[in-house]
Amino acid sequence: MLGLGALLLAGGLLAAVGTRLLTGPLAVLALGTVLASIVALVVVATMGTPETRRKIAPYGLLKPGMLWLALFYLAPLFTLLRLSLSTLPSRFAVEAEFDWNFDNYVTAFTDFGPQFQRAFMYSGIATILTIAIGYPLAYVIAFRGGKFRNLLLGLVVIPFFTSYLIRTIAWRSILSDNGIATGMIGKFRLTWMLETMGMMDNGRLINTPAAVIFGLTYNFLPFMILPIYVSLEKVDIRLIDAAKDLYSTSTAAFRKVVLPLSLPGVFAGTLLTFIPAAGDFVNALYLGSPNTTMIGNSIQDQFLVQNNVPLASAMSFVLMLIITVFVIIYSRFFGTEDLA
Amino acid sequence: MTTRRPNPLTGPRSAMTRRQLLMRAGALGAAGMTLPAFLAACGSDGGSGASATTPGTTPGTTPGTTPGGGGAGGSLFFENWPSYIDPTEDGATGTVDRFKEATGIDMRYTEAYNDNNEYFAKIQPLLGRGEPIDPDIIAPTSWLANRLIRLEWLDKLPLDQVPNAANLRADLQNPAWDPTGEYSLPWQTGFAGIAYNSDATGREITSVDDLFDPEFAGKVGALTEMRDTIGVIAMSLGIDISTLTTFDEAKPAFDKLQEAKDSGQIRRFHGNDYFDDLSNGNLAITIGWSGDVAAIARDNPAVKFVFPESGATSWADTMVLPKGAKNVAQAAEWMNFVYDPVQAAQITAWVGYVSPVDGVQDEVAKIDPELANDPLVFPDDATLANTKGFAPLAEDVEAEYDAAFSSITGA
Repeated sequence: MLGLGALLLAGGLLAAVGTRLLTGPLAVLALGTVLASIVALVVVATMGTPETRRKIAPYGLLKPGMLWLALFYLAPLFTLLRLSLSTLPSRFAVEAEFDWNFDNYVTAFTDFGPQFQRAFMYSGIATILTIAIGYPLAYVIAFRGGKFRNLLLGLVVIPFFTSYLIRTIAWRSILSDNGIATGMIGKFRLTWMLETMGMMDNGRLINTPAAVIFGLTYNFLPFMILPIYVSLEKVDIRLIDAAKDLYSTSTAAFRKVVLPLSLPGVFAGTLLTFIPAAGDFVNALYLGSPNTTMIGNSIQDQFLVQNNVPLASAMSFVLMLIITVFVIIYSRFFGTEDLA
Repeated sequence: MTTRRPNPLTGPRSAMTRRQLLMRAGALGAAGMTLPAFLAACGSDGGSGASATTPGTTPGTTPGTTPGGGGAGGSLFFENWPSYIDPTEDGATGTVDRFKEATGIDMRYTEAYNDNNEYFAKIQPLLGRGEPIDPDIIAPTSWLANRLIRLEWLDKLPLDQVPNAANLRADLQNPAWDPTGEYSLPWQTGFAGIAYNSDATGREITSVDDLFDPEFAGKVGALTEMRDTIGVIAMSLGIDISTLTTFDEAKPAFDKLQEAKDSGQIRRFHGNDYFDDLSNGNLAITIGWSGDVAAIARDNPAVKFVFPESGATSWADTMVLPKGAKNVAQAAEWMNFVYDPVQAAQITAWVGYVSPVDGVQDEVAKIDPELANDPLVFPDDATLANTKGFAPLAEDVEAEYDAAFSSITGA
């Protein structure tokens, strides 16, 4: 109990200093306490009896992570929450005044509805596409990769060697009106088909919703492939043989054995893809048009162009809340607890 | 989002290097709109052109510069837009190095100023609390200089130590953004008008109405710089942008832009990252900056800049002293140096924008006669008469303009 208490106290104090709730001598005192608790921990860990050491060990191991989270996660999150309920006394004021101003949240909902909708629609479609593309790929690498497995995995990761921004900007020239992609599509006379499917607009690929979704899919694909691969790789191939011995068809074996065992990977991949994609603004910025902006672009604009930090904070919070709700619902349906 | 990037416009001798520099700056500038930190890192790297560490000790070697102070030594820090000054290259000594040699001042010149709004967000926490920032001179565009003056975040220039300030172009004296002329000296000026790719349009363009021609649907761009985009459109609607005081006066221009955006006429709003799109025809026609377009035209003669019949907007990037700047005497020497027509001509010959200094045309003629006759760099009086600067806006009115504009650009 003492260990847990000290752990929470140290975390709380550090977070309070980080949010500037404690300033001046109080902050020094708080930091001193945190430091003392670390020293005490080290002393107990080296000099204590085996019994106390065994008791204190878990809290000691938690301490670095706890302090890190307190300073770099809890403190910023709390600051953001406070800012989102503040008012700027004048447009270019440095400090927003905290006054329980819920108007920011009202504005975030009423003025930015389309941007929120687009963000979740685009990232949702992109997530489904990454599963559709990534699952078969991960399957082939895991079960048919043979000695080329590591090479193939390396190829999946290679794009990370180039900056995310540079890759996205590069797509602009590939997808441009007189670029390679449109040229090929024109050559194979597929333009009418893509236009009907809504993937092209007026003969162009870029600056359309499809281009933004494509960019998101492309950029987040490795985050889907890798976790699926990891879960597939652990599947014991003899389970499939066993299924077949019991007169299961290949399809049924996949559906009843491999797929359920790989769902944790799909679940993890979905979170890794959907969450950052929903907040992304780079793809909409470079591949989109003024009619495809996502909520990330709006938040960036409010922070850096309009200087409306309270509103931007409220929008960030709304985004986080909606994502959290989505994730909770999703994990209810696809939760992996009973798949261990 | 005003990543206006000055362009290289001089002789073909090293056009390729400058072009590359230009594209790099463009890519970084574009990134800067979104990732300030990343950009800040790259921006300071971009200052390498002026980083030669040879603090000269021979004052007075450069003809025509006898700074009022005359004191040698000390240091100076100027934070400017990327590619906005002639660097030391190909055997030519850049302006910064010539200044160091002439005065013995250890000057630091960085190119971390990529975007007005972003830079404002960066200095606001310090200047707003009355704390000084590192640079002694910064280069806000006139409207931001005006905002800084109103917020009282600037120090007055030591104009009594800048005798060459007398060379300031008559039309820039006591400008609307700095009515007393005590806080700012223009660095470079230029115009926003219509830029188009004649291969893509298939005809010559003369009017702002062509931006709204359904024939070009989805191939039209506009600047993210509100004053330039709204300014050009408002002038085509007969609105005098130099006298605006309320939002309603400019509303027709916003409505027209909103309509074009909703119908998909406008493909995208851009900072200075429109060169590729314009050059390869993704954008047939857009609102662009004069100097930029002249640079693209060197590679692709189909790209042209026109002053619309209804008029173009004029802008100025300025030199100002943020409040608490330490090296005021050195800043005065620098301003005096670059307001010497001989020195200013070197800068103009490289950046290709309109110099605020009188007498530059004659000096440029000695370096590059072709450039001296370029109407985009040395516009005639008739052209100048058909350009207008955007009126300074009161704080709450400016907020209305910015909010309306950003709801159109989709952000």
